[in-house]
Amino acid sequence: MLLIIVLLLCSWACEKDDICVDGDTPLLIIRFYDIADTTELKRVPSLRVIGLGQSTVVNTFNDRTATDSIAIPLRISNTNTDFIFIRNSADEEGAETGNIDTLGFNYETREVFISRACGYVVNFDNLAGDLPSDASPWVQNLSIVNPNVQNQSSAHVKIFY
Amino acid sequence: MSRFFISSCFLFLALKGYSQNDTLNPVQIDSVVYTQPYGLRVGADLSKLARTFLNDDYSGFELVGDYRLSQNLYLATELGNEEITRIEELGNENNPSREVLYDYTTSGTYIKIGVDLNTYENWYGMNNTIYLGGRYGLSTHSQTLNSYRIFESNRYWNPDNLQEGSGQLGEFGGLSASWLEFVFGMKAELFANIYLGGSVRLGFLVGNKEADNFPNLWIPGFGKVTEGSNFGVGYNYSVSYLIPLYRRAKKPRDTEVEEP
Repeated sequence: MLLIIVLLLCSWACEKDDICVDGDTPLLIIRFYDIADTTELKRVPSLRVIGLGQSTVVNTFNDRTATDSIAIPLRISNTNTDFIFIRNSADEEGAETGNIDTLGFNYETREVFISRACGYVVNFDNLAGDLPSDASPWVQNLSIVNPNVQNQSSAHVKIFY
Repeated sequence: MSRFFISSCFLFLALKGYSQNDTLNPVQIDSVVYTQPYGLRVGADLSKLARTFLNDDYSGFELVGDYRLSQNLYLATELGNEEITRIEELGNENNPSREVLYDYTTSGTYIKIGVDLNTYENWYGMNNTIYLGGRYGLSTHSQTLNSYRIFESNRYWNPDNLQEGSGQLGEFGGLSASWLEFVFGMKAELFANIYLGGSVRLGFLVGNKEADNFPNLWIPGFGKVTEGSNFGVGYNYSVSYLIPLYRRAKKPRDTEVEEP
């Protein structure tokens, strides 16, 4: 009998913490490949990414570093997000000297209940990308590897340059 | 003289011994039969009433009843209705900038049916119980999502607040759950036929019909549903009235009477 009471008290006390560890709204993972050899990863020198309409750079990787893999946040309030991708980003007297391309991503948002502690997150379905339309883009091609952005375990988009 | 006195003492002793043998005749002992009340005991849970008055986010009541089947066995039931509104926040209680993740209301009716087994040996004239019991519980309920925000640990696009959601708002109806419950409780007779009782309960969820995109987080009668576990805990604190229907003799225990 005492054991039962202790077990009861324990099940009250041993309640799981309400800290969200079960999931999150996923970031879009992009990897950069060489256009000459499309299986070869290629680091983008001094890469800078800014969300169109935002005044700050994307906060998920070190600004102006050479990298072949980034994860960037999509807008959940909208079904498209545009980003400014800058290669060789540098400032000269306050003006950007790098090559600026604007890439757009279209998708559908789907709200998913994850757990008690996390509540709802958004997953992105039917992802599609738009290539830059400016005169001298550095991004040559773009392919969607995984159109359903539900987790961050693998790349969703390949960019060739 | 003293010798005569002592001898007569022995004589009386002998007489006394003889007369005692006489009264040990079991037929005479059983001429007064001890009977106990049997009937239907009905009442209400006080804790749910108190919680209704004290807590704005909760309303509920529970009727309790049991029917005595035999010396120690009771048929027992609880019937209730509960409505609770709960808010789930992000982060821990020490964080001053907590944000509401979602806010929901669960509302529904439940019934529990089972038996109680009294383990308490009452003294003469007492009718208290300390019991172990089992129940099968069943609820039909609905959950209404009042508001929610989309959890997103990256705050690039929404630096100040989490984005508010709208697509899932509303009522998720037609939900149900069933569970087995282990009960430990006691009931004490305060005044004639008025009983005060309390119990603690451990439930084990066996059936759970939930909405696709919003699970049953709280079930009327069962309580909070814990993730990754089918167990739930509850309690009640009841006052009830025994409607005495008939009296039945308490079966004498074997040790009390020796067959002649």
